[in-house]
Amino acid sequence: MKLVDTDLAKLLAQYVKLNLQAAMEYRTAFLTQVFGMMLNNGVFVVFWLIVYQHTPGDIAGWAFADVMFLWSLAALGFGLAHALMGNAFYLSRTIYNGELDVFLLQPKPVLPNLLWSRSIISGWGDVLYGILLFALTQPLDPLRVVAFLAFGGAFAVVFTAVRVIFHSLTFFFGNAEDFAQTAGELALTFSLYPGGVFEGATRWLLHSLIPVAFVAYLPARLFRAFDPGLLAIVLVADIAIVVLGFAVFARGLRRYESGNRIGTRL
Amino acid sequence: MEDYALRLDQVNKVFLSKVKGKGLRASLRSLARPDIRSVHAVRNLDLAVGRGELLAFIGPNGAGKSTTIKLITGILFPDSGKIDVLGLDPHRKRRELAFRIGTVFGQKSQLWFHLPPLDSFHLLGRVYDVPGRTLKERIDELVHVFEIEPLLHQPVRKLSLGERIRCEMAASLIHRPEILFLDEPTIGLDVVVRQRIRDLIRTMNREQGVTIFLTSHDVGDIEKLCRRAVVINGGEVVWDGTVKHLKYSLLNRRIIDLKSDGPIPLDIPGVRTIKATDYSAKLEVDLDTIRLEEAVQRIFASVSVQDINIANVPTEEIITRIYQDTEAGATPGTSSSSSSSSSSNSNSNSNSGSGAEPKGGRPCRA
Repeated sequence: MKLVDTDLAKLLAQYVKLNLQAAMEYRTAFLTQVFGMMLNNGVFVVFWLIVYQHTPGDIAGWAFADVMFLWSLAALGFGLAHALMGNAFYLSRTIYNGELDVFLLQPKPVLPNLLWSRSIISGWGDVLYGILLFALTQPLDPLRVVAFLAFGGAFAVVFTAVRVIFHSLTFFFGNAEDFAQTAGELALTFSLYPGGVFEGATRWLLHSLIPVAFVAYLPARLFRAFDPGLLAIVLVADIAIVVLGFAVFARGLRRYESGNRIGTRL
Repeated sequence: MEDYALRLDQVNKVFLSKVKGKGLRASLRSLARPDIRSVHAVRNLDLAVGRGELLAFIGPNGAGKSTTIKLITGILFPDSGKIDVLGLDPHRKRRELAFRIGTVFGQKSQLWFHLPPLDSFHLLGRVYDVPGRTLKERIDELVHVFEIEPLLHQPVRKLSLGERIRCEMAASLIHRPEILFLDEPTIGLDVVVRQRIRDLIRTMNREQGVTIFLTSHDVGDIEKLCRRAVVINGGEVVWDGTVKHLKYSLLNRRIIDLKSDGPIPLDIPGVRTIKATDYSAKLEVDLDTIRLEEAVQRIFASVSVQDINIANVPTEEIITRIYQDTEAGATPGTSSSSSSSSSSNSNSNSNSGSGAEPKGGRPCRA
C-alpha cells in the first residue's frame, strides 16, 4: 500500500485550486473574508496583552508567548480545516438533504472527496494569521517551524474528524447539526485558552469528547519541552480520533437514505 | 455469457418513516412515542436491461423510480435481493462501478455553480483518473458533439437551463461510461431544447453504444427515444414491454373525433361517448368488444358525418390508466368493461430483458 495516494493528493490540489477560483469570482467578498478574519483574530492579541499586563507572572504556568503559540497553532489548524475540508462544517445538512449522492457516484473515497469539495474561504485568513503570529511571537529555528506546521496539520485533521463524528450522528438521529456545531465551537473555544486553567470534569472532557488536549495543550507542552513519550501519546490519540471519524461515518453511511432535494454545487 | 448491462433479482428496499398527526398535541405524542411505519419503496423488483438498450423507466411520483436508480448505482443498500451491474455488485464494488457508469440528475448538478463548465470537466477528469492528454481529447470530442464551445468559459450560474443540461450530460460522459442514468433530463426545458437533448441522447446510444436508463415524466421523451418501457408503481414493475406495444395495443382502444351537421345519438355496444356537443363528439371504441371497421360503419349508418378522425389513445393517457389501474388493484391493460386483458398483451418483447408480459398490478403500499 502506498503511504501517500498520489491520485488523492492530486485531487486535493485540484479541489484547492477550484475552490480558490470559485471564491475569487467575487473579489471583494474574498478579500473581506480573508483579511477580515485576520483583523478579527488580531483583536484577541490585544486582549491577551491587556490580561498579561494586569496579571503578575504566568497564568496556570502559561506565559504570554505560550498563549500566543496556542493561538497561532489553533488559527493555523482551524484555518486549514476550514480552507481544505470545509464541507465538514456542512456535513449534517449534506446528509439530511440527500446530497451525498454525488460523492457516492464518484470513484473516490467518499469522506475525503466530500470534505475537500468545499472550502470556507475565511479559513485562509486564519492560516495567514496563524503563520504571521507564530513568526512574530516564537523563536524561528527550522525544527520548531516544521513542528509547528506538522502540529497545525494534525490539529486540522483531528478537528475535522471530531466534527465528522458529531455530524455523522445525523445518520442515526435524523439531524444532529446543532449539536455538532456546538461541539465544534466548544472545541475551538477551549483550544484558545491555556490548558492549565481547566480542572476536574472539564479536564476530562478535553481529553475525551472534545479532545482539544491532544491537538493544542499537549503539542504546546511538547513545544516547551520535548518528551518522546508525550509525542507518542499525542500521535496515538490523534490517529485513534481520525480512525474513529472514518468508522462512525462509514457505519452511518449504511443508513443513508438519500433524498430528492433540488440543488447545485456551490 | 449473457449480455446484460444490469439485472435486479427480487430486490427489496424498505424505508422507515415517522408518521405524525395534525397539531401540537400530535407532535408531543410523537415526541414521546413516535409512530414509525415502514414504507416498501421497492418490492420484489425483477428487471434486466441489455447492453446498448435505451430504456424508459417510468412511474408516478413516489413509485420507486429514484430509489431503484439509487440501488442500481450503489447509493442505497438493498434490504434483500441481488443487483448485478456490468457484472459488479454496486455495493461491494461501488468505486469500481463508478468508473463505468454516469448519471445526470435533472434536479442535481455536478457542475460548480460559480465556475465555467471547463473547470468542472477538469475536476471530473481528476475524479475519474482520466490522464491529461486523453482528457483533453475527450473534452474536445464532447464539446463538438454537444456544441458547447461558446459555453465553456462562462460561469454555470449564467447558463440557461438547456445549456446547463447539455454541459451536465457532457460532464457525465467524461469517463466514457458504459451505462448512463438520466433522471428527468428534460425537466423544465422548452420544446426546442427538449428535442435537442433527445437527439443527443439518441446519438450517445447509437453512435457511442452507451446503454441509457431514462426516467422521465415527459411522454415525448419515452415515445421519441425509447424502444422499451418499464412502468413501476408502488415499488413493483407493473408493465414491461415495447413502447410501440404500450402505445398501440395495451388498452386496445381507439379515439374517434366526429363532426356532423346534426345531433349525434349513438347507442353502439363498445363505443363510449367521452365528450359531446350538438354537432361533435369524442368517442372511445373498445376493440375487445367491437371491431373498428364495424364501429365506423355503424357510426356512418347512424349519423350524417361531416368529418372524422381516428386516433390511438394518447400514450400519456395509457400511462395514466396503468397507474390508476395498479393503484385500484386492477390488472393494467384491462378495462372496466372487459374482464380479460388484451390479447395483444402476450406479444413478446423484441429487446433483451425480462420479457414483455405485463404484470398484474395490486395495491402494494405497506
